[in-house]
Amino acid sequence: MSQFLRVLCISRKDVESYYGKPPLVTWGLLFPAVLILAVYLKDRAGYLAVAPGIIGMTLLFGNTSMAAIVITFEKRTGTLERLLLAPLSTQTIVLGKALSAAAYGIATSVVLAIGLVAFLNMPLASPGVFVLGLLLGAGTFSLLGIIASVAVKEVFEAMTLMNFFRFPLLFVSGVFMPLAEMPWWLGPVAYLSPLTHVVELIRIGVHGGSALGPIWIPMSSAALFLVAACLVAPRVFRKCATPA
Amino acid sequence: MREDWQEAQVAVRVAGLSKSYGRLSALSGVSFEVQTGGVFAYLGPNGAGKTTTINILAGLLPRDAGEVAICGLDVSESPVAVKSRIGVVTDSSNLYPELRCRRNLVYLGELYGLGASERRSRAGQLLEQFGLAEQADRPFGSLSRGMKRRLTIAAALVHDPEVLFLDEPTTGLDVPSARSLRQLVKQVARDRTTVFLTTHNLAEAETLADEVAILIRGRIVARGTVDELHGRVGGARSVAVRFSADVSPEKAKASCPSVRQAGRQEGMLHLEVAGLHSAILELSDLARHEGLQIEDLLCAPPSLEDTFVNILDRNDRAGEGGE
Repeated sequence: MSQFLRVLCISRKDVESYYGKPPLVTWGLLFPAVLILAVYLKDRAGYLAVAPGIIGMTLLFGNTSMAAIVITFEKRTGTLERLLLAPLSTQTIVLGKALSAAAYGIATSVVLAIGLVAFLNMPLASPGVFVLGLLLGAGTFSLLGIIASVAVKEVFEAMTLMNFFRFPLLFVSGVFMPLAEMPWWLGPVAYLSPLTHVVELIRIGVHGGSALGPIWIPMSSAALFLVAACLVAPRVFRKCATPA
Repeated sequence: MREDWQEAQVAVRVAGLSKSYGRLSALSGVSFEVQTGGVFAYLGPNGAGKTTTINILAGLLPRDAGEVAICGLDVSESPVAVKSRIGVVTDSSNLYPELRCRRNLVYLGELYGLGASERRSRAGQLLEQFGLAEQADRPFGSLSRGMKRRLTIAAALVHDPEVLFLDEPTTGLDVPSARSLRQLVKQVARDRTTVFLTTHNLAEAETLADEVAILIRGRIVARGTVDELHGRVGGARSVAVRFSADVSPEKAKASCPSVRQAGRQEGMLHLEVAGLHSAILELSDLARHEGLQIEDLLCAPPSLEDTFVNILDRNDRAGEGGE
């Protein structure tokens, strides 16, 4: 059996053990749905400006948190060590863990989008770009969650560590404020955030237009962040996951 | 594949293995070979470096120096290939608590690359062999400690490994569970799997091991069969004696030059003696001198525990002398 098939085995087991459980599914759906509904009730026309940002933010927080919770839980129960003892490459373990977290984020976001289209008349100008944004974002954020959690023992340590980058990303990525309205000095910083590009792809998927210029800019930038996370995460995992 | 390296008769080869954590040297120049088949016991006090050795052999830790080969494969050069040929049971029962017992075994079969029908039949076979068939559909987390330990060992055997590493397999188990587990380990060894055992239970090592290595402060200080180790500590033997009235261990030790160590257990004096013949003569003299009679006298070869303690004492004395 190839390492690729083993990636799928790890992911399927994690979905069965963690991501398929009702509390996680409802959290992944209810959190963004309630936020979007609150904005919708206040401003029925204007909610569409914020909805892509909320979906992107939910991906960031949901995927980093869930990946981190699973890694720290498995470190505590010793089951992560069991994976390290199996004939698996580090890439296989990391990708298996990230794939299940990403599948969770994508599935909840797609269900949410269907709900928004059906009940709140959200347009979906480019469904393909919308899903691409989810794919690139969910992959990158899951890997970020693994990177942040593999060196720590407890969930709260992972959350504290991740909040050092999650909240600044939220601030600079145009989630609640269009990039065009940002102060001039914050504009260049926004381009350095993966969340900016993911939200922009989701926004293009919904509205069909982008503030970042041609579609290839957010698309290639988000893809580059994913590739970078794919390269960094196994190295960090190899260094930090083995017993001291 | 098994046959290739079995011809060489060496399952595990370690040469000049060293590992440090910062300034602390955990292993320094450890060398040994484990022959194919049978049980190899790797013993030592806490902090001796046993778990570090297992972690290096299992590919979890990098080594600083030396060579480590399992089934003829270098652990650093071919970690995935080595891991597919070994099974490791750590000192904790670390299966997935939320998964059912059978699902745990099937999942591990997937990770080790077994085909769908093979992993299902192997899971069923192991559940039967380890007496857990009735628990197959219970979550692992709901099992008793003994059952968890049994399933953890079964899980390490799911891919029929050529070498099985067992780290403290019976720690924390009650007597019947520990005994049943030892029977299973014997059975595993009979089925051609080489067992590399670390344990603090020296009676267990004595029962199971074909060969023993003793590790102290990161160095192998003794190695051989249990009988060979007994021979190396000067043929000491154990004697249990009951006099018609109380004689203190201190008195026995002071009166009998052959007695190396003395203690009391269940109303009898338990003595470790250098020579059996001279010890019996000295004990007879002691009884005559004190006006007592010897009511009971039992002689036994030394246990592995006696030999282990003796080797530890010698090593401590050598260390103090060296310092």
